[in-house]
Amino acid sequence: MKAVPTPYGFAVAAVVCVLLSAGASRTLTAQVTQGPSNSPNKTLPRLPNGRPDLQGLWLKSAGGFQGLFIGSLDGTNFAAGGARGGGRGTGGARGGPAPSRYEYTPEAEAERNYRRRNLYLDPEARCHLPGVPRALDQPAGLYPVQIIQDEKYVALLHEAMHDVRIIPTDNSPHPKNYWAWDGDSRGRWEGDTFVVDVSNFNGRAWLDMEGNFVDENEHVLERFTLIDPDTILYEATITDPTVFVKPVEMRFTLKRVPADQQILEYSCLEGERSLQNYTEEDGGKKVRVK
Amino acid sequence: MKNRFLMAAPYRACTRSARVLRQAFCSIVAAGIVAAFVLTGGAQTQKPFTPARLWDGKTPDFRGIWQVRDTAYVNIEGHPGERGIAAARSIIVDPADGKIPYKPQALAQRQENYRNRATADPSSKCYQAGVPRATYVPTPLQILQSPGNFAIVYQDNHAFRVFHPDTRPHFDATDWWMGDTRYRWQGDTLVADVVALTDQLWLDQAGNFHSTEFHVVERYRMTGVDTIEYEARTEDPVVYTKPWTLRTILYRVTQPGARIIEDECLEDANGVRHHISPSDPKNLLKSDYSRWKKPAQK
Repeated sequence: MKAVPTPYGFAVAAVVCVLLSAGASRTLTAQVTQGPSNSPNKTLPRLPNGRPDLQGLWLKSAGGFQGLFIGSLDGTNFAAGGARGGGRGTGGARGGPAPSRYEYTPEAEAERNYRRRNLYLDPEARCHLPGVPRALDQPAGLYPVQIIQDEKYVALLHEAMHDVRIIPTDNSPHPKNYWAWDGDSRGRWEGDTFVVDVSNFNGRAWLDMEGNFVDENEHVLERFTLIDPDTILYEATITDPTVFVKPVEMRFTLKRVPADQQILEYSCLEGERSLQNYTEEDGGKKVRVK
Repeated sequence: MKNRFLMAAPYRACTRSARVLRQAFCSIVAAGIVAAFVLTGGAQTQKPFTPARLWDGKTPDFRGIWQVRDTAYVNIEGHPGERGIAAARSIIVDPADGKIPYKPQALAQRQENYRNRATADPSSKCYQAGVPRATYVPTPLQILQSPGNFAIVYQDNHAFRVFHPDTRPHFDATDWWMGDTRYRWQGDTLVADVVALTDQLWLDQAGNFHSTEFHVVERYRMTGVDTIEYEARTEDPVVYTKPWTLRTILYRVTQPGARIIEDECLEDANGVRHHISPSDPKNLLKSDYSRWKKPAQK
C-alpha cells in the first residue's frame, strides 16, 4: 500500500470509527473484562510444542480504546472530532478501561509540545520504522500484521513501513552495543501469553502522529494473548524514566483477517507522497523526499 | 577352523609376504577398493539432497539465515576486480555467454545506467532491492517457515516477501518493489512465480534493469544441509530478446547467535540516506540530535 496519510484519510477513518465504535465496543469490553484465563483454553489453535498458535494475518480492531484510534495516546483523538489536544480525550469504550495519559517530566513535556507544533519532524512521515509499540498501534483497520511462528521465534511482518520483528523465544539476553528504531525484542511464554521484552532503542521513534515520544531509555513489555481463535489481546507497558514520571499502559485487540485477504506491499520511501501534507499545514519547512 | 583361515587368507597374503612384487599387487588391490568406495560416494552426492521436514512431516525445512558469497551484486554479468572486490564471473547460466540478451535500445539504456550508477542506483537511495536482486545483495536473508507459511525477510532495507500458494492468482494490479509471489512445491524444490515488479528497480549496481513486464520464476533447492541453490529464470518481452537465467548459491550463516539486524537508513545534512549499523553510536538520537535535552525552542 502506498502511504498516503492525508487529511482525507483521517476523515475516512473518523467515519469508520464512529460507525464501528458503537457496535464493537461492547464486545471488546466483555473480552477485556474476562481477560486471559489461567486454565488452558482447549479451543485455541496450538503448535506441537503446546504454545498458542498466533499465526495468521491480523488487523488492529476498532472499538475499545478509542484514544488510540487516530491521534495519540494521551487522548487527542481526531476520530472523536478533536485535534491538537482539543478532542474530548475520553476515548475509552463505554465501561471500558479509561484511556491512559502520558505523564511527562517537565522537560520532556516541553519537548513534546515543541514536536506537536512541528509535526513534520515525525520520523514516520519520512518513512522511518515506527518503533514499538507504534508498529502495532497503527490506525485501526488500515495495516495488517502477518505472524509466522515456530518453536524458536515469533515473527511479526508489518505491512506498515514493511517493519519486521523476528522475536526469539529462547530467553536470550538483549545484546550490547545495539540501538535500533525497533529496539531489540526477546520473547518468552508465560502460560498462554507471549511476553516480549523490548529494549535497546535508538531514541528516534515517536509514539504517534501528535508528537508524543520516547528516548533511548524506552523499555516496553508487551503481552500477546490469544483470547479466542480470532482475537489477540495486545497489552504494552512503556517505561522511560527520562521522559515519563510513570509507566504508560496501552491495550487493544487484533482481529484475524479473513483468509481470502492478503498482506500488501507498503513502499513508503520508494514513493513517498505524504510529507508535504504534514509540512505545509504545520508551518514547518517543506522537505522534499527523493 | 577352515573358515577362519579362508577369511584371514587375503590379509595374510598381503601382509606377510616379503616379496616386493606381491606387495605391489596388494597395493593395487587396495587402491582399487578405495577408488571404488570414492566413486560410490561420488555417485551418492549426485543424488538430490533430501532436506529435513517441518513438524507436519511433509514440508521441506528451509528455515535459517542465508547469504550468498559471490559478488554478483556488483554486476550479474561478471566484473573485473575493483575497490577491493575480486573479479567475478557472470552468474547468468543461460544464455551460455553469460550476457543479458538486451534489445539494442535497452542495451543503450543499460550503458547509460552504468555511467550514472553512483547516483542512479535505486539501492543507493535505500530502496527495497526487488527480485531477484534481494537474494544476492551482500547481506543475509532469513527464511521463515511453518506448515502453510513461507516468507523471506531480507536484512537489506528490512524488505520482506510473503510467499502465497499459487492456488490463487497473482495480485497484479500495481507495481511493487518486492513483487507478488505465488509458490508451489515441486518435490523438494520451491518454485515461485513473481510478477508486479516496478520498472524503477535495478538488478545490480551496474545498471542492469527490466520493465514492468518483468516475470521471474525462482527455484529454491537445498543441495546440502547448509546450501540452497537459487535459480531465477527471467523474461521481459519489452527489454530482452529472450528469457535468461541466473543461478547462485545461498550458504547458511552458522555462527551461533547470528540473526538479521535492523537496517534502516538515516539522512545526512544533505538529505542523502546512508546505511547506519545499529551498533554505530551515530544511530542513537542523542548522538546527533542536539536540541532534545536542551531548553525547547520557540
